Amino acid sequence: MIDVKDLVVSYGTATALEHVTLTVGRGELVALLGPNGAGKSTLANTLAGLLTPASGTVSIGGRLALIPEGRQLFPDLTVADNLALGGWRSGQRDPSPVYDLLPRLAELAGRRAGVLSGGEQQMVAFGRAMMSRPEVLVVDELSLGLAPNVTADLAAHLAELNRSQGLTVLLIEQNARLAFELCRRAYVLESGRVVTEGDSAELAGDPRVASAYLGGAIT
Amino acid sequence: MIRLVAGLLVAAVTLALPAVLDDSALAVYILLGLAAMVTVGVSLLMGYAGQVSLGQGAFYAIGAYTAALLALGGVPPVAGLVAAPVVAAASALVIGVPLLRLRGHHLAFATLAMQLILLSLAGQLEFTGGDIGLQAIPQFSVGSFEAGSASAYAYLTWAGVALVMLVTHNVIASRPGRALRALATSETAAASSGIPVGRYKLVVFALSAAFAGLAGGIYCFYTGYVAPGSFPVLISIQYIVMAVVGGLGTIWGAVVGATAITLLVQGLNSLAALPGMPSYAPSVLSYAVYALVLIGVVLFLPHGLLPAVAGRLSRKRESLRAR
Amino acid sequence: MSAFLTYLLNGLAVGCAIALIASGLVVIHRVTGVVNFAQGTFAVVAGLCMSSLLGMGLPHGLSEVAAVLVAALAGLLTGLAAIGRRGTTALSALIITLGVGVLAYAVEIVLWGDQPRSAPGLAGSVIVAGARIQTQHLLVIGVTAATFVLLALFFGRTYLGKALTACASNPYAARVVGIDTRLMGLLAFALGGLLGGLAGVLVTPLRPISFDTDVTLIVNGFAAAVFGALTRPVITLAGALLLGVAETMAAGYGYGSHQLEIALGLMIVVMIVQAGRRPAVTQEST
Repeated sequence: MIDVKDLVVSYGTATALEHVTLTVGRGELVALLGPNGAGKSTLANTLAGLLTPASGTVSIGGRLALIPEGRQLFPDLTVADNLALGGWRSGQRDPSPVYDLLPRLAELAGRRAGVLSGGEQQMVAFGRAMMSRPEVLVVDELSLGLAPNVTADLAAHLAELNRSQGLTVLLIEQNARLAFELCRRAYVLESGRVVTEGDSAELAGDPRVASAYLGGAIT
Repeated sequence: MIRLVAGLLVAAVTLALPAVLDDSALAVYILLGLAAMVTVGVSLLMGYAGQVSLGQGAFYAIGAYTAALLALGGVPPVAGLVAAPVVAAASALVIGVPLLRLRGHHLAFATLAMQLILLSLAGQLEFTGGDIGLQAIPQFSVGSFEAGSASAYAYLTWAGVALVMLVTHNVIASRPGRALRALATSETAAASSGIPVGRYKLVVFALSAAFAGLAGGIYCFYTGYVAPGSFPVLISIQYIVMAVVGGLGTIWGAVVGATAITLLVQGLNSLAALPGMPSYAPSVLSYAVYALVLIGVVLFLPHGLLPAVAGRLSRKRESLRAR
Repeated sequence: MSAFLTYLLNGLAVGCAIALIASGLVVIHRVTGVVNFAQGTFAVVAGLCMSSLLGMGLPHGLSEVAAVLVAALAGLLTGLAAIGRRGTTALSALIITLGVGVLAYAVEIVLWGDQPRSAPGLAGSVIVAGARIQTQHLLVIGVTAATFVLLALFFGRTYLGKALTACASNPYAARVVGIDTRLMGLLAFALGGLLGGLAGVLVTPLRPISFDTDVTLIVNGFAAAVFGALTRPVITLAGALLLGVAETMAAGYGYGSHQLEIALGLMIVVMIVQAGRRPAVTQEST
C-alpha cells in the first residue's frame, strides 16, 4: 500500500531523509519510531505529497490521509467545518459518518476548534482525516501531549478501523510502548536513515531499542 | 590585487568622465551619482536592517529643502550642504523612534505616508514656497570658488558618492555591521543573541536618511530650485528598484543598480524623443521599465535581492562585493 | 444641522468606497499573507474602463459589470505575478504588487491618457431629514452594504468560502486536507480585484479618476484595513467609515487641505499602537 524506495528528501542544502526504504502492506498496521529530528514528519509530509523527493520513489496504493503532528486544525472554524473541509478531496461534505464513528464529535460540532482540549482536538484531526475516506492513514504523533487514557481511546479506534474496514495505518510515534502494542511491525528512523526494522516483539527485545525507546517512555 | 586594479580603474574613469562629457550627458551623470548615493542607503536599510522604506524620497526632499532654505537665508552653501544630511538624519531619528516599531508592509506604508505628509506640508506651508517651491538658490561655493559648471557639480556629486560608499563600507565591516547582517535574516534571532536590534535599526535608518539628505543638498544647488513636484512617490520606488536590481546589502550593487536603471531610462527617453513617438512615450516607457525590471528581478533573480533570502545567499553576496 | 447631516452621509459614502478597497486588501492578506499594493489600481482600471464603455454607448449596468470583471481579471493577473511562483516571500510579493501598480500606470496612460476621466452615475439628489444627498452617494452606501453582507455569507456559509478561511487560518493544514493554497490565493486576488473594481465603478461618477489616483485609494484603504489588523473585515468597515466621515467633515468645516495628513497620521498612530501590543515573533512571517 505504501512503497518507499531509496527516498531522499532535502531542505535547501540540508538532507532530512537519506535513502529510506519502507513498505506497508494493505491492511497492515506498521509503526515508525525515532527521536525528535529523525525525519519522521518529513516522511509523513512526503507521503502526503506536501514535499517533493530529491530522489527515490514513493508509491501509494490508495487514498491517503494524514493526521499531522500537532493536530493542525483550523482554529477559527467550527468542528463541523473542520470535518467538512476534511472531505475536500473526496467531495464528502456531510460529517455524519464520522459522527457515527466518533459520537463525541457530534456534541462538539458547533464549537470552535481552537478552544478544544488537546484530546478533543486530536479526535477532530482524526475525524477530519477520516472524512476523505482514506484507505491508508498516516498518523504523526498520535500520543503527543495527550493523557494516556485519551491516547488509548484513539488507539482503540485505529485498531478497530483496521480490523473492520481493513484500514492501512502507518503510526509515527515516539511512544514505543504504544507503537509495539498496536503494530505488528516497526521501523526505527534515526538521523534520516532507517537503522532497524522488524517484528514489534523482536524490536522490543532488542536491547538498543529497549534502552532508547522503552526506558524513558512510560504510558 | 585584481580588486585594487579594478577599483583604481573605476576611480580613474569616474574622475575622467566629467572632462569628456557634454552638458546634457553630465546632467545624467550627476543625477546618476545622486541616485546612487540614496540607493546605497536604501540597499543598506533593506539588506542589513531588513526593512523596506517607501519614503526615502522624503529624506532627499528634507536635504534639498534644508540646503535651499539655508542658502537663501544667506548661510554659506558649504554649511547648507553639511546641514542637509544632518537635518535629514536628525529627522530620521525623531521619526524613526515610533516608526521603526513597525515592520514589513506596515513600515513600508508608514514611510510612504511620511513622504505624502511631507510633500503635502511642503506644498502648503509658506516658508517652503508652497507648490511653487524655492527658486533662485545660489550656486554652491567654497570660499571664493564657485561651482558654476556642470563638471564641478559632477565632481562634487561623485565625491559625495565616494564618501557615502566609504562610510557604508566601514559600517558593514565593523562589529555592529556584522551583527546587522543577522538582523536582516531574523530579527528575533538577532535580539535573542543580545544584539540591540532597535538601536541598530535606528542608526541604519538615520544613516540612509543622511545619504539621501546629502544627495538632496547637492541636487538643490545643481538645479537651483526645489518644489514638492521634484520628489514624487515614484522617486522612492525608483530607489527600491535600483537597490533590488543591484543586490541588497551590497555597496557596489547599489551603484551598479543606479547606473543600470538610469542608463536604461535615459536610453528609452531618447528613444521616446524620436519623431513620431506619442507625447506620453517617455513617461510610459520609464514606468514600464521600472515595473518590469522590478518584477522580473524579484521573481527571477532573487539572489541577494531580498532580506528574507539574504542569509541563504551570503556566499553569492561575498562574490558580488568585489572591492 | 442639515449641513452636518449632509457631510455625514457624504462621508459615509466616501468611507464605503474606502471600505471596498480595504476589504479587498483584507481578503487577499488573510488568504495569502500578502499586502497588495496594487489594490487601488483595480479601482482605477475599473473606473477608466467604465468611462470608456459608457463612452462607446454601452448601457449602464452592462458597462459597470464589465468594468468590475476587468478589475477581477487584473486582480488575477496581479496574483499570478505575486504568488504564482513558489517560494516568493510576502515582502517580495509586496514589492511585486508595487511593480504591478507602476506597470499599470504605463498601460493606463497608453489606453486612456494621463488626464482625469469621469463617468455619469445616478443623477439627481434626494432630501433625507432635511439634508440634500446625491443619489449616487446612496447607491454607494447601498451597494457597499450589500457587498459586505454577501462577503459575510460567502465566507461564513459556503464551502469555498470556508476553504478560503481555512487557508487564512492554517495554510499547512489546508494543504494537508488537499486544498491548493496557491489556487485559493489566486481566487482571493481575483476577489480583491472585483472588490477594488466595485469601488472604482462607484466612485468615478463622484470624483474623476486618473492613472495615479491609486496612491490615494490604496493609502486610505490600507489605513482602514490596519484598524482591523488587516484581517478583520467588520472592524475594517468601521475604520473606513470613520476615515471617510472624518475626512469629509474636515473638508466640510474648512480643514480640507489637511485631510490627507489627518488620515495618514491616524493610520500611523493606529499601526504603532497595534505594534506595541504584538510580539515581534508573530510579525516576522509577514
